Amino acid sequence: MKMFRGKKVLGAIAFAAALFSSTAIMSTALSSSAMAWTLEEAAQPYKGTSIKAIFLDRPGYAAAIKLLPEFEKKTGIKVNYEIVPYENSRERQVLDFTGGGEIDVVLTDVVWIGEFAGNGWLEPVKTFTDDAKLADPKLKLDGFFPILLESFGTWGDEVYGLPFDNYSGLLYYNKCTLQQAGFDKPPATWDELLNVYGPKLTDQANRKYAFALQSRRGETQSADSFMRVLWPFGGSLLDDKFKSNLNSKESQAGLKFRQDLMKIMPPGIVDYDHAEAVNALAQGNVAMITEWSAFYSTLADPTKSRITDCLAVATEPAGPAGLKPALGGFSLGVNAQSSDAKKAAAWLFIQWVTSEEMAKPYVEAGGVSGRTTIYKDADIQKRYPFVQPMVASWDGGVPDFRPRFAEWPELSEVIAEWGTRMMLGNVSIEDGAKSIGAKVEEVLGQAGYYKGDKPLRK
Amino acid sequence: MAVATAGGTVPAASHTKPKRLVSAWHLVGLLAIFLFAVFPFYWMVATSLKTQAEALASPPIWVFTPRLDNYFEVLFNRDVLSSLTNSIIIAVSTTILAVGLGTPAAYALARFEFKSKEELWFWFITNRMLSPIVVALPIFLMARTLNLIDTHIVLILVYLTFNLPIVVWICTDQFRGVPKDLDEAARLAGASRFTIFWRIALPLAMPGVAVSAIFSFIFSWNELLYALVLTRNVARTAPVAATSFMSGYDLPWGEIMATGTLIVLPVIVFALIVSKHLVQGLTMGAVK
Amino acid sequence: MSSGTQPDGSGKPRVFPTLWNNGRAAFAFLAPAVVALAMIGIFPTVFALVNSFRRYNLAKPRDPTPFIGFDNYLTVFNDASFWGALGRTFTFLITVVPIQLALGLIIALLLHKPGLSGFKLLARLSLVIPLATAPAVAGLIGRLVFNRDFGVANAVLALVNAGPVEWLGDTTNAFIAVALMDIWQWTPFCALVLLAGLTMVPNEVEEAARLETRSRWQIVRYVQLPFLLPSITVILILRTADILKMFDTVFTMTRGGPGAATELVSVYIQRVGFRVFDQGVASAQAILLLILTIILARLYIKFVYREI
Repeated sequence: MKMFRGKKVLGAIAFAAALFSSTAIMSTALSSSAMAWTLEEAAQPYKGTSIKAIFLDRPGYAAAIKLLPEFEKKTGIKVNYEIVPYENSRERQVLDFTGGGEIDVVLTDVVWIGEFAGNGWLEPVKTFTDDAKLADPKLKLDGFFPILLESFGTWGDEVYGLPFDNYSGLLYYNKCTLQQAGFDKPPATWDELLNVYGPKLTDQANRKYAFALQSRRGETQSADSFMRVLWPFGGSLLDDKFKSNLNSKESQAGLKFRQDLMKIMPPGIVDYDHAEAVNALAQGNVAMITEWSAFYSTLADPTKSRITDCLAVATEPAGPAGLKPALGGFSLGVNAQSSDAKKAAAWLFIQWVTSEEMAKPYVEAGGVSGRTTIYKDADIQKRYPFVQPMVASWDGGVPDFRPRFAEWPELSEVIAEWGTRMMLGNVSIEDGAKSIGAKVEEVLGQAGYYKGDKPLRK
Repeated sequence: MAVATAGGTVPAASHTKPKRLVSAWHLVGLLAIFLFAVFPFYWMVATSLKTQAEALASPPIWVFTPRLDNYFEVLFNRDVLSSLTNSIIIAVSTTILAVGLGTPAAYALARFEFKSKEELWFWFITNRMLSPIVVALPIFLMARTLNLIDTHIVLILVYLTFNLPIVVWICTDQFRGVPKDLDEAARLAGASRFTIFWRIALPLAMPGVAVSAIFSFIFSWNELLYALVLTRNVARTAPVAATSFMSGYDLPWGEIMATGTLIVLPVIVFALIVSKHLVQGLTMGAVK
Repeated sequence: MSSGTQPDGSGKPRVFPTLWNNGRAAFAFLAPAVVALAMIGIFPTVFALVNSFRRYNLAKPRDPTPFIGFDNYLTVFNDASFWGALGRTFTFLITVVPIQLALGLIIALLLHKPGLSGFKLLARLSLVIPLATAPAVAGLIGRLVFNRDFGVANAVLALVNAGPVEWLGDTTNAFIAVALMDIWQWTPFCALVLLAGLTMVPNEVEEAARLETRSRWQIVRYVQLPFLLPSITVILILRTADILKMFDTVFTMTRGGPGAATELVSVYIQRVGFRVFDQGVASAQAILLLILTIILARLYIKFVYREI
């Protein structure tokens, strides 16, 4: 599904237009150096360079693709992208890193940062920020939500990527259905969702269900389903010593809660991926879902959703341990194995697409920016109802919602397998948790965490 | 079963059914076979001609205005055209290579006497039964070292693991059917061994060679696992392209089925051409 | 054509013993194919064998890859998921193959029965379609047909007031759905192989039997079956090998899910090798599978090529 953009030559007019934007920061830049830093000038040596990016089939990437021509016109850098299914995207990139490949702009899921950075596959951002020719004085790393930069982009104390496609778990609901059932606000707690809202909104005979929790085997099961029910109940995957915490009272309570949810969810929920869950709400078959903020644009799109007038958004319900919403998202980083020219070109692209200046166009094109300032914009707040709950979630989220160490993908496979089997009732919650725990400890033991070889970093 | 007589029904035994009824059941059975075999294929083609809304309609729509939009979309915007081109290049090359290497070997197995012939022969057939995953792991590592990932050549070579056995087996059979006398007469006339093989035995064995070539082509064209592991986008084959639509976010069923149809249709044509030899090709000559 | 059995020196007196008893000439003809197959078959297998004794994870390029003896094999023996996948593969085998054989036999008998030649031709040609369909595409078709909401399987069930069935989201049903796709794809193969067997029954024998008995079953059982035994053996062994290899259909249809409900052994090994990237353990699993395959191939030779 690769698509190539035609080579575009920068125009003098675009150059001039760029000069007149954000004058306040410009003046400081002007005072510190004789000439202001401009993207056009910085890109001059890399004109004609083409770089390769890995994108997903999600709104945030469609938004970036819409903006691409502007970048290509300004810089003369050609950005080729390949859209891969999320489930194949880590595989695809790891094979590329280990087999020698052509990816320059690396897409790092929050849970891969430990693996990608730890293996030296990502170039530290410092390489570029130290280079006055490449670093935009307006870069402002502290302009990102701290939790996003920390979680998606940082490993150890080193920054490797800039937050690009940013998610918080949110509660999307059909306010018309809720009103008909006599609820004028969404459930505040998970318990309420199950016991108060659940029975009233579920009508099995007509195949209407209160809730859908996407649980398909894969990262969807481990991140969206399994981990989502641990944290709010005070549970977690690992304890402080990196031993399994799944058989603790709190973790078990969360997992048991998930089994109880099955009563108010469509049958076959273990085969629901994001597409199915979002579609179930969009078609009016399900009253509530907890999904990533990025799916707002799909749900609000009248060609894909029948409930645009009834769509409402809130933070995820709280559990006994408080509000612990799912955290997810992707940073863009530079492949450490790319040539210097491609590295520079890739950096210029990443810096541009995640910049404060591009935040508004990016959001308007359907993306979710990781910049704080954009969400203070009253106009944006009004037009995008998901903004407020999302910002609230990011202000109080768990940075290591899922451990981000290199072993996560392997653990995720284990959790995905046993988690779905638990839901299907093929194995009891307790035994399933034990099986996962044993395997998790085996993997982490082999990795050397218990011998003190490795810092306990997640 | 009724004994066929000119009169139509057989009155003799009490449990004998009238012939017309038997024929009716026979006809129903044959039509059931036809429906069973064709329906899933029909459903794929029908879906490929629907819009996304029609494809997702519940209950499914049976009558609709067919559109070719999905085909234009996948061929030109989704780049399935280049995947199909890759598939053709790879399948044709590996077939030529398999026939080029396999027919002399088949000739030798059919004609010559030598030690461990059985073992050699056994080894060929084992490859037919080998799970690709066994070879895919090390081949991936080797291809990586040799910088052959995402190239046509690596698939062309790897596909020999199943194509060579096909060619060797079908052609060994075929060569055995060619009388030795011709070879021996030619030898008396002073022809070299290679000339005998090339000018006499091979032309006579052509039907078998053609069948094995078509089977090699079909198997290579349909293969997924190796292609999934060994290609990325430059050498990506059509079956891999078909799976790449499954993004978990949006499933464009019309486009997926259009790609499926583009993959399957040429093979059906080929398979119909060799339908008489289908069994022989699939069992490698064990049953004829 | 000849008998189709394994190559042997027929008892015919040789006109030119030196012409065919020449090892060097045979070698010249065989060498290219043997070298090629050795390069892409044996060499990688040896490499896999070596890797199966090493700790080797592709996703951990900075870790050493020491030889660890039989540790990987021990891991495999203690891996419930691997044995689960292998067991599932055999369950799949004993589920689909008898059905394919039975349906195949019925189809073959219908195609063998005299009369209605036009319809018979049509039915026989239609059998080519499932066989020619790429297994990967068959899986995609399966995912569409068995969709819970807009799949045609549930629509057909609705006609008889049954369903809707949750096909791919339920452990048992997903297994059945994959099995149904496999039955669609491979029953024609069984039918055609059995049909070939039926045509070997001499006409006179069949006619004579029909005069003896009117029971269709008696004819099948005592007259036709003995001629079908070789075909059935071929089907059993090839289907066994194909199901051990089965990957494409499952990968595109369910990816082994839900849970591990449809995770057959080749799908599982692919997951370990290319998602967990544990080349050591995956190689050990692959070697075990290879051994199983060789045993089966030996059986193939013994029953099919020796005794027919």
